Amino acid sequence: MKKALAIARWEFVEKVKTKAFIISLILTPIFMVGAGILPTLLVTKADTEPRIIGVIDQTNELADILAQKLDEKYRLPDGAPNYIIRKIFLESKEDLSTAKKVADQLITDGNIEGYLILPASVYEDSVFEYRSKNVGNIKLTERINRTVRDIIVEKKLKSQGFDPRLIKKLISEIEIKLVKVSEKGEEESDFKSVFFSAYIFIMAIFILIVTTGQLLVRSMVEEKSNRIIEVLMSSSSANDLLVGKILGLSALGFVQIGTLAIIGLALALKFGTIIISLSNALILLPYFVLGYLFYAAIFVGMGAPLTTEQEAQQVTGYLVMILFIPLLLAMWIMQNPGSPIVSVLSYIPFLTPTMMAVRIPIQIPSLIEIISTLIVLILSTIAAMWTAAKIFRTAILSYGKRPNMKELWILIKSK
Amino acid sequence: MLSVQNIRKEYSTVVAVDDVSFEVKPGEIFGLLGPNGAGKTTTIRMILDIIKPDRGKILFNGKVIDEEIRNKIGYLPEERGLYRKNKLINTIIYFATLKGLSQSEARKRAYNLLKRLDLLSYAERKVEELSKGNQQKVQFIISIIHDPQIVILDEPFSGLDPVNQIVLKDLFMEMKDNGKAIIFSTHMMEQAEKLSDKICLINQGKVVLNGTLSEVKSKFGQNHIHLEFDGDASFLKTLEGIDKLLLYENYAEFEVKDHQDIDKIFPVILQGLRIKKYEVVEPSLHSIFLQLVGGEKLTRTESR
Repeated sequence: MKKALAIARWEFVEKVKTKAFIISLILTPIFMVGAGILPTLLVTKADTEPRIIGVIDQTNELADILAQKLDEKYRLPDGAPNYIIRKIFLESKEDLSTAKKVADQLITDGNIEGYLILPASVYEDSVFEYRSKNVGNIKLTERINRTVRDIIVEKKLKSQGFDPRLIKKLISEIEIKLVKVSEKGEEESDFKSVFFSAYIFIMAIFILIVTTGQLLVRSMVEEKSNRIIEVLMSSSSANDLLVGKILGLSALGFVQIGTLAIIGLALALKFGTIIISLSNALILLPYFVLGYLFYAAIFVGMGAPLTTEQEAQQVTGYLVMILFIPLLLAMWIMQNPGSPIVSVLSYIPFLTPTMMAVRIPIQIPSLIEIISTLIVLILSTIAAMWTAAKIFRTAILSYGKRPNMKELWILIKSK
Repeated sequence: MLSVQNIRKEYSTVVAVDDVSFEVKPGEIFGLLGPNGAGKTTTIRMILDIIKPDRGKILFNGKVIDEEIRNKIGYLPEERGLYRKNKLINTIIYFATLKGLSQSEARKRAYNLLKRLDLLSYAERKVEELSKGNQQKVQFIISIIHDPQIVILDEPFSGLDPVNQIVLKDLFMEMKDNGKAIIFSTHMMEQAEKLSDKICLINQGKVVLNGTLSEVKSKFGQNHIHLEFDGDASFLKTLEGIDKLLLYENYAEFEVKDHQDIDKIFPVILQGLRIKKYEVVEPSLHSIFLQLVGGEKLTRTESR
């Protein structure tokens, strides 16, 4: 055990000093915050300058109402109107193609963001066109669509003889407020926060497993290729070596997770949104630790027989993909948290930790399910560790071609 | 000190080591010789307890090798490698602590040895900045820093310039004088011949020759004797037990057919002649190696 600690110390101290580790320590949070928050920020970010929208109005009235409504509803942070309507006049009502040409030119010249064609038929079939270089600006198209729709509905209702004040009430915006019911009573929740808390858990376990796993495989491959392994094996037992490596490199992984957690907490406190509840985190903790050990064993078992960096990268690549499966399924799991498929997937040890990371924030599984998945995970972790130690002991000294499944099986069976 | 008894190691397709036995005593330099793939490395790995023999025993002072005994063994593997990115001094200290030394003791000894091997100025440098020969010296330091009772060196001289070969040889001799046992494996027979007290030649997993250098040579026969003398030596032509006689006026060369007979032959010669110079010219280890491993005269080999 003393030697295992000496090995752990070496692996930790020597790697924590390296430039590569320090860079990854800084880059990972930047990347994560970027990938997780930036797109949302950009989409919901308020415009800073008014957008000018052209209108070819064949109804001769809608454009003015639209301009007024947009002016009422949407303002820039500095109080200026967010959208400015610029009418594009027609020489004659039928000459739409000329008007389009003019408007297209305005777009290319950058004078307008895009333009609407409001045909006279819009009252009947409610169809109108928005043309722009960029039709992917969902926020803008959604707002215009909604405003035009409201105007048309209002007009139709008016023509049916409804009281204008009543109309206003009737078509007032409907918004859904989501409330999650759990044993602790009701709490407000929404898709984004559920998704993000799952995302954060998965990223945490992912970073831990990938950091440690890759370091494990790479250190084994390095020691094999420069034959240091023989000196190590002549000084300490294979088990000490294995335990020392896993301990030392895990410490590295935890340094990374710790850094991220501190950054995350600081951000959360600053913006006042803590979306991870402590109780959820506590339930996840055993999955986290066991899942981590399970994967560490898998990395050792798969990494020990390898001799080159390329092979090592391939293998770690596959394992990382498996880790991400539950995140891809997250949307579907949220819609069907009680589905038997979700339960079955939760029992596959490769998926258990990340499946639970997705499931727990949505709906805490039953106690029986938690206990039984944990038992399955514990047993598979022990089995994986045992197998990995066996493979490690022999494979770490063998060179040349990667053993096939049959040869690995012989290794595992041998005493 | 070290007793290897009938060890055997089988891999799925080949028998790597088959019934190998030998003894190494304190203060001995033991040459483990043999061509590539003969089973030297496997034998060494079994002594180091990296792999277990399928059969047979390896005892150190009568005890099976365990954690404590591991700490008394030093090892320099044939294919050299070190952590490239780490500081020299840290690397040495790490390996020393793995052999049971404390950090402070390891540091003290590391500096001593670095000084001794003229590497002190590199102590704080990264390993990759060192030349190959210097890296090899570092590995040598690692193999002896814990003051082992036995050092096992796989091809210790390959890649070293003559100056460093001498530095290394002197260290060997010093260790030998301090009662340490040194096992070294090599293809270079000249080196083995100069250094070894005992040798063990392995081929295809089996011991082909085993014993002290002179034992081996004499057992192997082919002992040529060169004589310078005064007197009439014609009686040599009829003397029993000698062969391939070349007789000159006061010089003769012949081969003793059987080494055991030399005690009978010599008194006869001494009676008839006044000897000025007597020389036993033995076959070199190199030629023995070639003959044995080359497959010639296999009938004369001893395999125990």
